[in-house]
Amino acid sequence: MNRSFSWIKTLFPAFLILLALWFPRLVDAYFLHLAVTFFLAMILASSWDILARTGQVSVGQAGLFGIGAYTAALLFKWIHLSPFLGMLAGAVISVIVAALLGYLTLRLRGIYFSITTIAFAEALSVIWLMTPGVTGGAMGLSTPPLFGGDRQQAYYLILGILIFCLLVVWMIEATRLNFAFTAIRENEEVANVMGINPTRYKVLAFMISAFFTGFAGGFYSHYNTYIIPYEVFGLGISIACLVMPIFGGLYTITGPVIGTVIVKVIEEYLRVTVSYGHQIAYGLILVLVVLFMPDGVMGIWRNKILPFFKAR
Amino acid sequence: MEWADFLQSFANGLLIAGLYAAVTLGLTLVLGVMGIVNFAHGEMVMLGAYNTFWVFTLLGIDPLLSIALSGLLLFFIGLFIYRFTIRPILNDPPLNQLLLTLGISIFLQNLAMILWKTDSRSVITSYSGMSLSLGVVNVGMTRLLTFLIALGLTLFLLFFLYKARPGKAMRAVSENNTASWLIGINVQKTYLLAFGVACALAGASGALVSTVMYTYPMVGFKLSLKAFCILVLGGLGNIPGALFGSLILGLTESFVGTYVPEGSGWAEGISFILIMVILIIKPTGLVGTRRE
Amino acid sequence: MSLLEVSGLTKHFGGLAAVQMVSFAIDRGEIVSLIGPNGAGKTTIFNLFSGVYPPDAGEIRLDGDDLVGHRPFEICRRGVGRTFQIMQPFPHMTVLENVITSGLFGRVPRVPMKRVEEEAMELCRWVGLGGKMGVYPRNLPVADQKRIEIARALAIKPKLLLLDEVMSGLTPTETTEAIKLVRQLRERGITIFLIEHVMKVVMGISDRVIVLHHGEKISEGPPQRVAHDQKVIEAYLGEQIDNSEESSC
Repeated sequence: MNRSFSWIKTLFPAFLILLALWFPRLVDAYFLHLAVTFFLAMILASSWDILARTGQVSVGQAGLFGIGAYTAALLFKWIHLSPFLGMLAGAVISVIVAALLGYLTLRLRGIYFSITTIAFAEALSVIWLMTPGVTGGAMGLSTPPLFGGDRQQAYYLILGILIFCLLVVWMIEATRLNFAFTAIRENEEVANVMGINPTRYKVLAFMISAFFTGFAGGFYSHYNTYIIPYEVFGLGISIACLVMPIFGGLYTITGPVIGTVIVKVIEEYLRVTVSYGHQIAYGLILVLVVLFMPDGVMGIWRNKILPFFKAR
Repeated sequence: MEWADFLQSFANGLLIAGLYAAVTLGLTLVLGVMGIVNFAHGEMVMLGAYNTFWVFTLLGIDPLLSIALSGLLLFFIGLFIYRFTIRPILNDPPLNQLLLTLGISIFLQNLAMILWKTDSRSVITSYSGMSLSLGVVNVGMTRLLTFLIALGLTLFLLFFLYKARPGKAMRAVSENNTASWLIGINVQKTYLLAFGVACALAGASGALVSTVMYTYPMVGFKLSLKAFCILVLGGLGNIPGALFGSLILGLTESFVGTYVPEGSGWAEGISFILIMVILIIKPTGLVGTRRE
Repeated sequence: MSLLEVSGLTKHFGGLAAVQMVSFAIDRGEIVSLIGPNGAGKTTIFNLFSGVYPPDAGEIRLDGDDLVGHRPFEICRRGVGRTFQIMQPFPHMTVLENVITSGLFGRVPRVPMKRVEEEAMELCRWVGLGGKMGVYPRNLPVADQKRIEIARALAIKPKLLLLDEVMSGLTPTETTEAIKLVRQLRERGITIFLIEHVMKVVMGISDRVIVLHHGEKISEGPPQRVAHDQKVIEAYLGEQIDNSEESSC
């Protein structure tokens, strides 16, 4: 919670946004696709971080992601709902489910909460597999290519949502929400005695997080044109959601973004070298971060690199 | 013939409960002695299963004989993991411990995928197809042997904890590690040994798993969740509770498999649903906990 | 009507009665101390007041309103502020941010951020943390951490302030300063209820003293009277004899 170098803080992001807007003209389809997956991952990382700010460490975001994905896909299948509306619907349904789950898990602390979220995602996976008539089951669901295959439009859509997500995080940090979230995270009981209603803020954080995770799921189902329960409710998604912000630096705006970039680069490199198991990097990174750099990349930036500049 | 179905279902549930109990023993031990939930415990089982598979496939050694091998291998792997990753974080907040062990879990899952691909492996022995008739009930030979060995492992652990010096030290430490330290117990060594023994038990139960289920990289994750369910059911960190929880889970899965339409698919979800229902109603687990 | 009225307050943990049929009242503007041997139930009473857990029986009335059954944040907003015996400032917030937090949420109606910030800075200066507002609590000595606790509790503009052993661990100079601070708080119109072990403080600033032993109220009244109460002496001496018996084993 410090304020310094404020001119860099406004100019640099503006520069990045301009670069991002210009980006599609500079590269070919492959890199455009890569950028889309990067932006999607940043949304997942950022929204996980929002929830984590209240001390709720979810290892089951895939549950919300999958709900978003299937809402969009099923609504398209049943009533030919347009992709964008489908994604919004996915976001809304995710929010509702998250609100319910949030209320039910209010009294769960620490790892009990985490275990429950894992069970939540896995339970959804089983339910989906056992109801093929409604959900398509193990065979999955298909949708036609998003925007008729126009990668650029998809790119701008996901970029827009990412910017919106980061703006929301920025707003959280700029208002009293930040104090509430932090206080609850650091000591929920004391926060309560200080006048903060933990229920309201914990559920709120869950709902905000779910909106973006659900939207990301909806986007994914249309962009990928094919989803199966094993993937969208899978542990891999839940892990991805948490490794990136933890590596990048929790409770910051830039942490999840930087974390995503670095982790995803490693992942993409591994993906072309081994066919399965490319998430091995995730496991290694988690272990190394906990042992050697608990504040993530942003922590190193703040504690080791920034002081050099301030010393001048 | 309803009665026969019921008994058969009961028998199957009992047998699988034995396996689940064996799997959960090590997790319970670590939780009780050190207060850490080892998210990578399932992967220790997975490694034990793969070890048994390869030893059987390449060397022809019967899986139920190579249990000791898997146990030994995982014992040393456990010591290694403890020394370099667990010991540094013993006093960290539980969330850090969760993330670290989760990281090890993910690492091992993916390592297995890279080394051995994602195919499901089976261990088929000469007696795999055999079954015993006990009155109205048919009992698969492998399942029966597995159950008996699992029982043996449980008795071995109880004997170790109550009669052997290092085991008694573990019990003392799990009750009160400051008092234990004050009376001269080397708490650090006890932790190290407990973790090693827990992983050894996991490895041994992995050998059992390989004969009764398919062996594949994610089998550990599946079993981890069942083990968590058992912990939540039976109380965290105590062995009788683990046995009780295993029984409940095993029987529930079996009955659901028999009596619910398409039950075998739904049975897979029992552990998840139980976890959620129990924790939501009673946030500290069904029996509550002596140690958080 | 008294500011705070407690009647028949009872709380059990497991089979043990931590607080047993305790009744008393505190008037506006009083400084009342709660004393008693260790384990007498003092912090339990504070926890019951701030709503950390509900009593098994009894009433707690603040200005006539029953506090029982309300959640901690609701009780806080009715004007009950408290400090904690084991100091618990939010570790990743600066001193100022700690004080701002309770100011933002503990008051009704809500106060805009700007004003909360200004008032928080004022409060920090008033308790003596003016130069340390941007520091993180873990880098501060015990006395300063207690100041943070007090400032944080004051930020909600409480009617009743519960101070849980704020004087323990302070040097004589710091204790004198703390006593001065408590008197100034009373001048500001805040009613103060303290748990204390430091007898010099209790005798020095209390209008009244309430004595708890094994969860029951055994004495109540002006400090001098309580100090000479036979029951109180026995309770403390009894504890001392028990202690010396144990140590001679």
